[in-house]
Amino acid sequence: MSTARNIPSDRGLTLRMFTTGLLLVILYGAVIGLLIAFGLSYAVVLVFAAIILFVQYWFSDKIALFGMGGRIVTPEQAPQLHGVIDRLCALADMKKPRVAIADTDVPNAFATGRSPNSAVVCATTGLMRRLDESELEAVLSHELSHVAHRDVAVMTIASFLGMVAGMITRIMLWTGLMGGFGGGNRGNNQGGNDNAALVELAVLVVSVVVYAISFLLTMALSRYRELAADRSGALLTGRPSALASALVKVTGEMSRIPTRDLRSAESFNAFYFTPAIAKSGVSLSTIFSTHPTLEKRLAQLASIEAELGRPS
Amino acid sequence: MGLLNTILGRTKPVQADLDALFALPSASVTLQSAAGLACSGHAGVCFKPPSGQGFEDMQAEVVRLLAMDDARGFHKAEDSYGYHWLIIEDADIEQLVTRVHMVNSSLSDSGWGPQLLCSVFGLAALAGSDADAGAGGAGVVGVAAALAEQADEPVPTGLVDTGGPMPEPTAGPGRVVASTAYLVYLFKRGTFYPFVPTGHEQRDTETELRLKSLVADDLVVESDLDRWFPLWDLPVG
Repeated sequence: MSTARNIPSDRGLTLRMFTTGLLLVILYGAVIGLLIAFGLSYAVVLVFAAIILFVQYWFSDKIALFGMGGRIVTPEQAPQLHGVIDRLCALADMKKPRVAIADTDVPNAFATGRSPNSAVVCATTGLMRRLDESELEAVLSHELSHVAHRDVAVMTIASFLGMVAGMITRIMLWTGLMGGFGGGNRGNNQGGNDNAALVELAVLVVSVVVYAISFLLTMALSRYRELAADRSGALLTGRPSALASALVKVTGEMSRIPTRDLRSAESFNAFYFTPAIAKSGVSLSTIFSTHPTLEKRLAQLASIEAELGRPS
Repeated sequence: MGLLNTILGRTKPVQADLDALFALPSASVTLQSAAGLACSGHAGVCFKPPSGQGFEDMQAEVVRLLAMDDARGFHKAEDSYGYHWLIIEDADIEQLVTRVHMVNSSLSDSGWGPQLLCSVFGLAALAGSDADAGAGGAGVVGVAAALAEQADEPVPTGLVDTGGPMPEPTAGPGRVVASTAYLVYLFKRGTFYPFVPTGHEQRDTETELRLKSLVADDLVVESDLDRWFPLWDLPVG
């Protein structure tokens, strides 16, 4: 008699994701403390950044669709696509997101939207042309997992720190160029000006370092979220190999697509199912990549497949 | 999805909720008097088969249990989306619900609950009623007559040949005929919704909403209309 399916949760992945998030939060605290120590003008920067970020987050679905040329389709326009998503949402007991199609031959899919209630899942015509039904379903299941995990909100919050640090860096550079570091006002406040100059320089250096660290952490978090979406998506359909097959097909196709098309897609890599880059095997870029390597993703899917295949 | 699960990027698979099925016989009675519809005797259980030997074994076990009960009254099917169906036929609605429940609980008790998508029960028009448009029934077989017949004979399975002066077979307790409408049961929600396909990828939403209002007292009907997804190419008869 067969037994219940007990896929053990991936402790390692959870731990790494938690640690990355924790480090980001600690950095948050440090920078906010820094800003407060410098008084109101830096707080204005914070507010400004928060407003930009909020707008970007709130309209994320419209921004993403506009940027990638996706258009919402009704069930009458795309019955097969809607049918697959209908059933996946019923299996996962989640609200069905809006469905969009992007007319481009680059094979890819993305999910966007500020919350599961206002989410959009988009697939490109290139993807639907290349994958068979079970592979397309696996990719859509991965995207629905992103919606369920609220990844847009999580990544927006995570990237907030980098954005603030980046803005401070830029502002410091401008004021440094304009006023010179204490170059003007050579009056009776000489000592005070030198101290202020040193402090400003220190803030600049710290901003750059913070920006670099937060960028790396945000990229790491993005990779872990992708692996988590792979995992949840594979468990929902119960067929990890379909997702693996889709990954291999799409990644293989990427290197065959003429360079022009891909370059227009590369800037949106963070949103995509798999990064739209043509080069393969560039190892240094892994820490700067929004997505885990193909090998890593396939390895995780293979282990889930092994768990499913275990008899009682 | 809990906050912790969101932060950590985990999804808990949703378990099935089965007991609401047993409200179906009373809903069937309501439909008979209010809409001239009755259960057609066809039902199906839809699930997404995962890869791996564990599920294959479980499926074989369930098929064996069904066969022990009634070897002719079921068969397997697959639809165009890659989902598998176990189609069950039984003229007695109580028996039908019991068998459907047995399939579902076997799968969910052994841990495969997350793979279950839905169960579908067919409805068909009673002869001599307004709803009996397509059945072509010239007969005046009423519910009473059908009930009387069922009391005399053992519970039939498959199509009933009553012979004699009876006209064409019509739906009602004791018969299995082609369905014109369906009641779909969503496991993860524990709710029902009506589905009336009228042609290739077309559905009669007005009738569905009317059916919803009729059975609302007996069944828990799905309140979110977005979740009433269409089941085209339904292999349930």
